[in-house]
Amino acid sequence: MAMKRRTTILVALGLAAAVLILFWKPTVLIYGIQQAGLYAAIAIPMGLVLGIVHIVNLAHGEFMMVAAYATYFACRATGMDPLVAALPTAAVTGLFGWIVFRLTIRKALKAPELNQLILTFGLGIALSQAVNILFTSQTRKISLDYVSASVDIGELSFGVWSFVFVAVAILYAYGLKLFLTKTTAGKAALAVGQNPRGAAIVGIDVDRTYGLVFALALALVGAMGALFLTKSAIFPGVGGPFTMKSFCLVAVAGIGNIPGILGASLLLGLAESFLRAFRDLRGWADIVFFVLIIVVILGRSIKWRKS
Amino acid sequence: MNRNLSRALAALALAVAVALPAFAGAYPLQVARNIIMYMALAVTWDMLLRSGQISFGIAGLFGLGAYASVLGVLRAGMPAWLSIPFAAVFSGLVALLIGFLILRLRAMYFSIVTLALAEIFRIVIHNLHDFTGGPEGVVLQGVIFGGDAGKLYWLALAGLAVALGASWWFENSRVHYALTAIRNNETSAKSSGVNIFRWLLVAFVVTSSIQGLLGGIYVQSYGFATPESVFDANFTLLPLAMALLGGVHSTVGPVLGAVLLGLAAEWLKLKIPYGHLVVYGVIIIIVILFMPQGLLGQARAATRSADKRRKA
Repeated sequence: MAMKRRTTILVALGLAAAVLILFWKPTVLIYGIQQAGLYAAIAIPMGLVLGIVHIVNLAHGEFMMVAAYATYFACRATGMDPLVAALPTAAVTGLFGWIVFRLTIRKALKAPELNQLILTFGLGIALSQAVNILFTSQTRKISLDYVSASVDIGELSFGVWSFVFVAVAILYAYGLKLFLTKTTAGKAALAVGQNPRGAAIVGIDVDRTYGLVFALALALVGAMGALFLTKSAIFPGVGGPFTMKSFCLVAVAGIGNIPGILGASLLLGLAESFLRAFRDLRGWADIVFFVLIIVVILGRSIKWRKS
Repeated sequence: MNRNLSRALAALALAVAVALPAFAGAYPLQVARNIIMYMALAVTWDMLLRSGQISFGIAGLFGLGAYASVLGVLRAGMPAWLSIPFAAVFSGLVALLIGFLILRLRAMYFSIVTLALAEIFRIVIHNLHDFTGGPEGVVLQGVIFGGDAGKLYWLALAGLAVALGASWWFENSRVHYALTAIRNNETSAKSSGVNIFRWLLVAFVVTSSIQGLLGGIYVQSYGFATPESVFDANFTLLPLAMALLGGVHSTVGPVLGAVLLGLAAEWLKLKIPYGHLVVYGVIIIIVILFMPQGLLGQARAATRSADKRRKA
């Protein structure tokens, strides 16, 4: 119930901000929404892992970076379009995630929470630095024609390609919701997330479910890595900032509340886009996330103490 | 027996550290300075960890200290030597202020907030163009001591001495009992009359001001600061890996880890110019998975089982 209310509040705030900005500077609104889509599509898989496996994966962004590199070289070798490569990349990243989970994270699940945090922190460094060794820190980009497609409405002209991120974010959020409530595997995952011991008692293989959920989340991130490549240049450190931002969004939405991530992303995407609209404030746009995460965590801690 | 051995080893380490400038050239001294700095950071990180709180924000307080020192010299006309303790005081004060807010948080929430704070410090410094020099950073008139390699080495060693001294104080005073009690079980610590918040604040402020001090020493030894150089994530990452490898909750562990990893990294830097840091990531993973007590813990377990065998 509290979850639903928070989602409603977030969406309402986001919409109110959107309407205000629409009358002031429509491009700010459009780019804000596109940015929000990108953030949400990357954050949703992290929300899935955090909600069910209960670990904060500090290597989240690095996994996306690795998927983007894999797509880059696959496309270079075969002349494939990154868009076509998204599905195979998702499968490969999912498998990779499953292996990583079996070899490392599974063994730390029973350890104190902080060990898991440090473990995934180490995984992130190992991944980004391994890419650094193999391919150096040179930026790489695939230029595609359709990315620069734009639309003119009256005096307004804006790029439309990035709306694909918005579509993917919505697809992820509602696809996962359907998966978790309508399929047997999804229901089992949800049960494990709520109470692992209880789930084990009724005969669900908890260990296997964790592995599958982690692999599924990485497959989703992997597909985003391929899509990310269509739009942006990549380098070994490109994923890092998304880890923090994703965690921030998941924390704002509330752990386990996947549709809420859409609302939180909208709010943050618009706030960033709003600050970027002013020349003097542009450099401060990055700070929004970090201030918000601290405010949210501190706000929660005060609420916890009251209850 | 064991105590005598460890005293002998400590004396040997001290002798090596003191004698080093006499026979080592500029390059080995520079490497030693780096290792000493990371060692001191690793010790301070571990000092806070003894209360059970994991900070991911070392780079933030280190960078703040570095900027406090540089700007103290450039904007307030401080002499270089004075700017270093000023850096410590500044980072300590900032830690005191934010400590009141964030030391109520536990576990991953504390860790994430420290990481976010480090980013906030970096962005603020990055954006206050007129005062901090913005993204291009600031350059000092000259390096402290005119860049004399020997003196810079002594300065770094002095920073390490402060960290080790504080760590020794933490280990051999009431602080030790307070922090260990908080780490083991906060509820029982509280019911035994430990003022949890106060001790955490003491630990956080002391470790942060030492991190600021080290930032001041670092920046005065190199003569320039940019947001990207002094808030580099490596200042968080390397000490963390060093302390974990050596063994946490002690002074010896981080020191041992720093020597091993510091030398290894220097060697790898020559072999693999890009991405030698992968070693740190891999070491963190291996240590967490296979020896959560670090090398020191492994050694302790080994001697314990050897003792048992001798007795049997």
